Amino acid sequence: MRKILYNITSGEPRSLIKPSVACLLDGLCKLVPAVLILEIFNVIFAHFRTGLSLDIKRMWAVAGILIGWVIIQYIVYAWSYDKTYYVAYEASARGRTALAERLRRLPLGFFSSRDPGDLTTMLLGDYTLVESSISHHFPQLVSGLVLPCIAFLCLLFVHWQLALAMFVALPVSILIIYLTNSFQVRLSRSHIKAKVDAASRLQEYLLGMKEIKAHNLSGTRFERLRESFHRLMRESIKIEGAMGPIMMGAIGLMRAGLTLVIFTGAYLLAGGALTFPVFLIFILLGTRVYEPLQIVMVNYAEIKYATISADRIMEIQQQPLPPSGGGLPEGNRLEFENVTFAYDDHNVLENVSFSIEPRTVTALVGPSGSGKSTVTRLIARFWDVQGGCIRLDGRDIRDIDPEKLLSRISIVFQDVYLFKDTIGNNIRVGRFDASQEEMEKAARQACCHDFITALPEGYNTMVGEGGCTLSGGEKQRISIARALLKDAPIVLLDEATASLDPENEINVQRAINALVADKTVVIIAHRLKTVKGADNIIVLDNAGVVEQGRHEDLVSGQGLYQQLWDLQQQSAGWRMKAASLLKNAR
Amino acid sequence: MKDNAINKPRSGIGRLVEIAQEQRILLLVAILLSIVATLLQFSPFVAVYVIVAELLKNAATPSSIDYNLIRQWGILALLFLAGALVFLYAGNMCSHIAAFRILYHMRVRLSQHLAKLPMGYFNRQSTGAIKKNLELSVEKIENFIAHHIPDLVGAIVLPVVMLVVMFVLDWRLALAGAVPIVLSYLFQMFVFYSEKGRTQMEAWLKIQENMNAEGVEYIRGMPAVKVFGLTVRNFLRFNRSIKEYRDVTLGITRTYKHAYTSFFVLLSSLLAFIVPVAILLFSGQPGNQALGLTVIVFLVMAPGLSIPVLKLMYLGGNLRQITTGTDSIDKILAQEPVPEPQTPETPEGCSVSFENVSFSYSDTDASTRTEALTAVSFEARAGEITALVGPSGSGKSTIANLIPRFWDVGSGSIKIGGVDVRVIGTEKLMGMVSFVFQDVHLFYDTIEENIRMGNKGASREDVIAAARAACCHEFIVRLPEGYQTKIGEGGTYLSGGEAQRLAIARSILKNAPILVLDEATAFADPENEVKIQQGLSSLMQYKTVIVIAHRLSTIREANNIVVVDNGRIVGQGTHDKLLLEDGLYRRMWEAHINASAWELTADELRKGV
Repeated sequence: MRKILYNITSGEPRSLIKPSVACLLDGLCKLVPAVLILEIFNVIFAHFRTGLSLDIKRMWAVAGILIGWVIIQYIVYAWSYDKTYYVAYEASARGRTALAERLRRLPLGFFSSRDPGDLTTMLLGDYTLVESSISHHFPQLVSGLVLPCIAFLCLLFVHWQLALAMFVALPVSILIIYLTNSFQVRLSRSHIKAKVDAASRLQEYLLGMKEIKAHNLSGTRFERLRESFHRLMRESIKIEGAMGPIMMGAIGLMRAGLTLVIFTGAYLLAGGALTFPVFLIFILLGTRVYEPLQIVMVNYAEIKYATISADRIMEIQQQPLPPSGGGLPEGNRLEFENVTFAYDDHNVLENVSFSIEPRTVTALVGPSGSGKSTVTRLIARFWDVQGGCIRLDGRDIRDIDPEKLLSRISIVFQDVYLFKDTIGNNIRVGRFDASQEEMEKAARQACCHDFITALPEGYNTMVGEGGCTLSGGEKQRISIARALLKDAPIVLLDEATASLDPENEINVQRAINALVADKTVVIIAHRLKTVKGADNIIVLDNAGVVEQGRHEDLVSGQGLYQQLWDLQQQSAGWRMKAASLLKNAR
Repeated sequence: MKDNAINKPRSGIGRLVEIAQEQRILLLVAILLSIVATLLQFSPFVAVYVIVAELLKNAATPSSIDYNLIRQWGILALLFLAGALVFLYAGNMCSHIAAFRILYHMRVRLSQHLAKLPMGYFNRQSTGAIKKNLELSVEKIENFIAHHIPDLVGAIVLPVVMLVVMFVLDWRLALAGAVPIVLSYLFQMFVFYSEKGRTQMEAWLKIQENMNAEGVEYIRGMPAVKVFGLTVRNFLRFNRSIKEYRDVTLGITRTYKHAYTSFFVLLSSLLAFIVPVAILLFSGQPGNQALGLTVIVFLVMAPGLSIPVLKLMYLGGNLRQITTGTDSIDKILAQEPVPEPQTPETPEGCSVSFENVSFSYSDTDASTRTEALTAVSFEARAGEITALVGPSGSGKSTIANLIPRFWDVGSGSIKIGGVDVRVIGTEKLMGMVSFVFQDVHLFYDTIEENIRMGNKGASREDVIAAARAACCHEFIVRLPEGYQTKIGEGGTYLSGGEAQRLAIARSILKNAPILVLDEATAFADPENEVKIQQGLSSLMQYKTVIVIAHRLSTIREANNIVVVDNGRIVGQGTHDKLLLEDGLYRRMWEAHINASAWELTADELRKGV
């Protein structure tokens, strides 16, 4: 139970207190007129019984209180309205921010193993459910349960037999709901699954629109999406259809209490063991006392549903963060010692040891899948090593706070993501508080300035989502500008020069030179020629280091590097040829 | 069907009713069942009245009370209630089935429509915002169809029936009961129609869209977020939109505070209206027992009257949300799709020719660059390689994107085998052209299915053969589940080069006569570059190849090199011819030669010190 409360409020069970109290007060307020009206009945009853004229004065007194009560009710309701919504939206805004922050602190490896559509649904959609749990469902649940209890206790004093008759069926109907709980959870789970699935299919459909068009896939891709929509429809109908009879049964059973009261009452009245005014109390309340509980039962499915969403959120909240320790050491020497790392039991690196001296250029080369990118990602702690350790200036990087570690590192990826924001702000991602001058300087160094100023609004031009309005080369240069602005002492370049324009290539190379000057550099490059001058070339193959050294030494050996070098010399001479030319050549 | 929305644009409740029409029979049944259920649900109040009346009438002589009558009504109350629940359930199922069907059709229609829109639409709109509309805005319609329609019917029918009965009994008391109910309806109308509410709700939807767009970005841009240490708090826009969303929502609740409170309090205080009137009536004739009974009717039944109306508590506000949501759905549906030809023609040959093509990205949105093409003419002949070169932003990619009609030309025409691409028909056109883009999108599906996209009917062997030709086979079989490995789930991470080779495999499988390569060799691994080149060479044979390349050396032997600058063609011809001309191409070639000689040296580093 505590766990449910904790989860449903995304970790803030206290936020339920105010709305619940408010809802309860509200329910009590509503009961008052029902009690007051009894007095009117009594007056009328006295009139019928005795034949004397009505006690008008007494009735006016009741009417006065009734009218006065309207004002009190207004005040109470307005107050509880404020409390409820304020608390709910505050909590969900805080929860969203906290979840987003939590996501950021998870190792990046987590993201490649999760469907991004699912995470987005959680961050955005699931929180709306949390909002309504806090503002409506949970407080209603509380008042729906507490009010009948209060009523029951009070009525016990009035007439215990009738009170029992009124509520005897209630435990049974609660039991029904309780017993079918696992069935409901199963239904809700598969419904949520269908929903998340549809969301993910939709996201990939939208993101892959260009490929879909190009490959005439509006049919097949669409079929998958349509199927997921269809499954969502079926699941929705199923959940509605299966929950209905359970709830209706429970409601029917509970409300049978009125009939029981009437029967017991009739029996007791006939025997003279009951007076009319007491009976009146019970049958009048019998029409109303179940209403709050019925609302709870009708909403019960939604409460269950929200609980499951909440569990999903909490599962992320409870993902282990990479262990983080203290601050950064002074130096920038990196050392791999017997590092082993695997994805899904598939060893990517096995007992790898080497060191990277400060202010040197270290190149990683090797066939694809040899673990080059993994090395850079391990340095940045996207994942933590599974065996051995990586040290920065002698300190295990697992003992360094990941954020502090990253503050020391600049990374230029092969795939660059730009945010839907101005170009200027996209460069400022490198250093948030950079001035306009600093930002432009970085852009100049990265050879972005010219193309940016040619845009309609210069640095204030908005970039499309994911950078879709810029070419690959332009995006790459913006990412270099980011790194320049960041000016971190360790630079990781992952195939950063891959998609550059011929005209600007030389400029970008100069920019990279500016970026890496005086830095500890780890570079992954396609073209071995690019890294010929590196201080150390580490050749990876089959999850291990096969050789390392300077170009001259490696190329004169008979190892993998020499083979790769030969291959490259061959491919550098490659030219696209038309079939006709090929034929001629033969 | 779609044209309905465009021809007579409706909005608000009219539009919702139009949407509901799709399932009108089911909904009519639902409404009828719901009316019966609502009336039956009132039975306990009737039973209590009958019992109270019987007891009152015999108050002076308790021995003459008819206990059978009392028990009979006790049973009747239960039976009617059980009946009400059955009808309620049946009605509920009808309305929900109708609602979910409508939602399903709406989503299908929207996604089909989206696939027909020009690519420009997707550059302008963020995925998050479109997604939000297909998920949330559509889902809201369920509320209207499945809940509001039956609730509304119940909330109107019951008070009307009861008030009619009450008017027959005593018009003055009935009036006293009717006043708060009518007033409460007025408050709901106020909520729905208030101008302030409307603007606020629009702001709310807008901010909800923003928050979604930024949430999607935040997740997708996570590597950058992490590497540059952006926290949510300084990832300002997301954080700001979360806060704005909260503030706008609270603003809305504040606007409606008094309307909602009045609605609620009025309905729970029917007695406060009826009792004083009853007393006034009694004052004139304090001995009238018949009047006493009538008053009892009102006192017993009045609270029951407000129960169905209370369900409408959030009706106005919800309707506001729903209609604003349908407005944004209709905005998507109103987007013009890429026009399809009436009578599609099939081109004879496979040469691609641009004839005086001018083009500009029409949207004035600042997020899209207005990069125009001006009077571009060239021909890419079948069986030849045509290379597009030029500085970035010169329009090379735009030229490539116009061939498959991701956008349509402004003026001039693009012809394949002499037939304008606009009269070929999208499906046929896409079948003729194969693409390898620089940014490859892989789907969350198995590797095999990702390759098979090139040709749906391909056998497993064909897929593997294509993968071998594109040099993917080796890395694929090394993955834990080989061709069945799912991408994006369970930690499968493909490098840019690997993704690119999958894309080449797709194109090999597709084997279309026209091939467009947009910087396709950018991410090739050194080891496999030779093999990819071989793969590409075999892919290119006997095809019309249009290639955008960085490394000028790779396209040196193209049959025709088209040099693009600033949206214009500034030269074309063979490599040798262009070199002689002393133009842009020659400058680029010289830069390329220098760049090729570049190496990252430790010397550069020391210079920096």
